[in-house]
Amino acid sequence: MASEMEPLLLAWSYFRRRKFQLCADLCTQMLEKSPYDQEPDPELPVSQAVWILKARALTEMVYVDEIDVNQEGIAEMMLDENAIAQVPRPGTSLKLPGTNQMGGPSPAVRPVTQTGRPITGFLRPSTQSGRPGTMEQAIRTPRTAYTARPITSSSGRFVRLGTASMLTSPDGPFINLSRLNLTKYAQKPKLAKALFEYIFHHENDVKTALDLAALSTEHSQFKDWWWKVQIGKCYYRLGMYREAEKQFKSALKQQEMVDTFLYLAKVYISLDQPVTALNLYKQGLDKFPGEVTLLCGIARIYEEMNNISSAAEYYKEVLKQDNTHVEAIACIGSNHFYSDQPEVALRFYRRLLQMGVYNCQLFNNLGLCCFYAQQYDMTLTSFERALSLAENEEEAADVWYNLGHVAVGIGDTNLAHQCFRLALVNNNNHAEAYNNLAVLEMRKGHVEQARALLQTASSLAPHMYEPHFNFATISDKIGDLQRSYVAAQKSEAAFPDHVDTQHLIKQLKQHFAML
Amino acid sequence: MPKAAGKTPGELTGKNRIQQFRYGGSEVNVPGSSPKTSKRMANEALFLKPRNLVILKTAGQLSVEDITTMVLCKPKLLPLKSLTLEKLEKMQQAAQDTIRQQEMAEKERQTTH
Repeated sequence: MASEMEPLLLAWSYFRRRKFQLCADLCTQMLEKSPYDQEPDPELPVSQAVWILKARALTEMVYVDEIDVNQEGIAEMMLDENAIAQVPRPGTSLKLPGTNQMGGPSPAVRPVTQTGRPITGFLRPSTQSGRPGTMEQAIRTPRTAYTARPITSSSGRFVRLGTASMLTSPDGPFINLSRLNLTKYAQKPKLAKALFEYIFHHENDVKTALDLAALSTEHSQFKDWWWKVQIGKCYYRLGMYREAEKQFKSALKQQEMVDTFLYLAKVYISLDQPVTALNLYKQGLDKFPGEVTLLCGIARIYEEMNNISSAAEYYKEVLKQDNTHVEAIACIGSNHFYSDQPEVALRFYRRLLQMGVYNCQLFNNLGLCCFYAQQYDMTLTSFERALSLAENEEEAADVWYNLGHVAVGIGDTNLAHQCFRLALVNNNNHAEAYNNLAVLEMRKGHVEQARALLQTASSLAPHMYEPHFNFATISDKIGDLQRSYVAAQKSEAAFPDHVDTQHLIKQLKQHFAML
Repeated sequence: MPKAAGKTPGELTGKNRIQQFRYGGSEVNVPGSSPKTSKRMANEALFLKPRNLVILKTAGQLSVEDITTMVLCKPKLLPLKSLTLEKLEKMQQAAQDTIRQQEMAEKERQTTH
C-alpha cells in the first residue's frame, strides 16, 4: 500500500528502481511539507536526507558517462594550442589518417569518413565527427553531418541540455547555485559529493563544481583521490588539459582505479598523443588484467589511427573477456564485411540480434550481409524491418541507399533508380546516392544529368574519390580534358592508390604533352 | 594493364573503347601483382566483342583491354549507436520537445489575450 508507506522509504525505493521522476516528485512534496529553505536544516536529518535524495535523482536522470563524453567544438579543434607537434611524425598523431600500411581495407572497398578514415562499426559521441584537417572542412561539417558542430565546446550539447533542464522546472531550479555557501558544504563530505555530482551533471556549471571540489579536497587535506578525479574532470571540461593530467596522476598515486586510467587516457587523446595513451592503457592492464574498458580503449585508438588489424585483434581480446560487448561485435562484424567475408559478418550481427539489439541500423546491416552472403530469402524482409524501425529521415535514406545496391546487384536498374531517388527524398545531402544515380543516368546516356549529379555529389562530399573520378571519366569522354584533369587530381588526393585514376591522369598528361 | 601481343597499348585504347559499365569491380591496387584477376578477365570476356579478345595460341593466355568505367559508391553498413549517444540524443529530443511545447503555450496565451 503505497499511501501508507513511509514517504522517504518509498522515495528511496523509487530511486533504487530507477523511477527517478517519481522519486523527485515525491521528494519535492516532502520538502514542501517540512520547513524547507534553500539549505537543509542540520537539525532535521530527514529533510536533509530528502534533499540529498532529490539531488541524486535529478542527477541520475541526466547522467551520462563522463568517460564517453567528448565533444570538441570548432574553436578547440582548429585553434588547438595543446597539440605538441604541429607536423607530427606518421603514426604518432590522430590528426593524420595514417597511411594504410597495416593491411586495412582500401577506400575502394570500405567507405571513408570525412577525415579519410574507414567508417567504423560503432558510433560514440566522440566518433561522431572526427577531426577535420582544415578550417574549411570544419565549417563545412554542419552541411553533411546530422548534428552541427558547436563553435566551442562551452556552447555544445551539454550546456544546451543544462539550460533546457532548467527551463523544464516551473518553480525555478531546485538548488540556487549562486546562493550556496560552498565552504559550509565542503565540510560535510557525504553531502558535498552528491551536491558536486548534481552541479556537474545536472546544472552543468563546471566553474561552481570546480570551486566546491577545490574546497572539499582542501578539507580532506588532499587525501581523497575521488575529489582529485573530480577536479581533473572539471579541468578537462574547461579545456585545461595539463592541469587535469596533474590531478589524475596524483589521484592514481593514491589509489589506482580503472576510471582514473580512462580519464587520463582521454586527456592524452585530447592532447593528440595516442602513443602515450596506448602506453597508459597497457600500464592499466598490468594492474587490472583483462579489464574490458581498457582493452576497448586500445582498440579505439588503433582504429582511429587507421590500424584496423591491430584494432580487430584487441576487439577480439575484448570479446574473450566479455562476449556480449556490443561495440566489439559490431566493429569486428563490419571489419569482416568489408574484407569480403559477409557470411562471417552475418554471424556477428545475428549474435547482436540474439542479444536483443533491435534497431534500424542492425537490420540494415543484416540485410546487406544476407544479400552479399547469398541468403536472398532474408534480404528484403530485413530491409523492410529496417525501414519500419527508422527513427528519422536520415536513417531511412541510408536504408534506401543500401536497397539501391541490392537492386543494382540483381540487375533491376529501374528499382535501383527509384531507391536512390528515395534516398535523396529522405536526405537531400546524401552524396553517395547522388553519385550512384549519376552512374545509372550515364548508363541511360544522359550525360548532362549525370554531370550535374556528380557535381552535387563532389561538392557535398569532397572526401570521396568516386564522384571526382566519375566526373573525370565523363569529362574525358566528352572531350573536356581540362576539367577531367582537375577532377582526376582531386580523386587522386582522396585515394592515391586508385589505379584507374592514375591511369587516367597518365593518359591526360600524354594528351597535354602532345598539344 | 595486360598488354596484347603484337600491339602497343596506345593502339588499343581509344579505338576499341566500349560503352559498357561494370559493377563491383576490384579497383584495389595490389602491389606486385596485376590489378586484374584471371577470373574477372574470364567473366569480362563473356561480355566483350570478339575483336577485343586476343588469344595467344602458344601460351593459352587471355588478355583483355582494360576499360575505364564509372565507380559506384560502396554499400554502407550503418554504425550502431552507443548507449551514451542514444541517451544524449533522447535527452536532447525531450528538451527540444518541452521547449517547443512551452513556446506553443506562450503563443496561445498571447493570442487569447
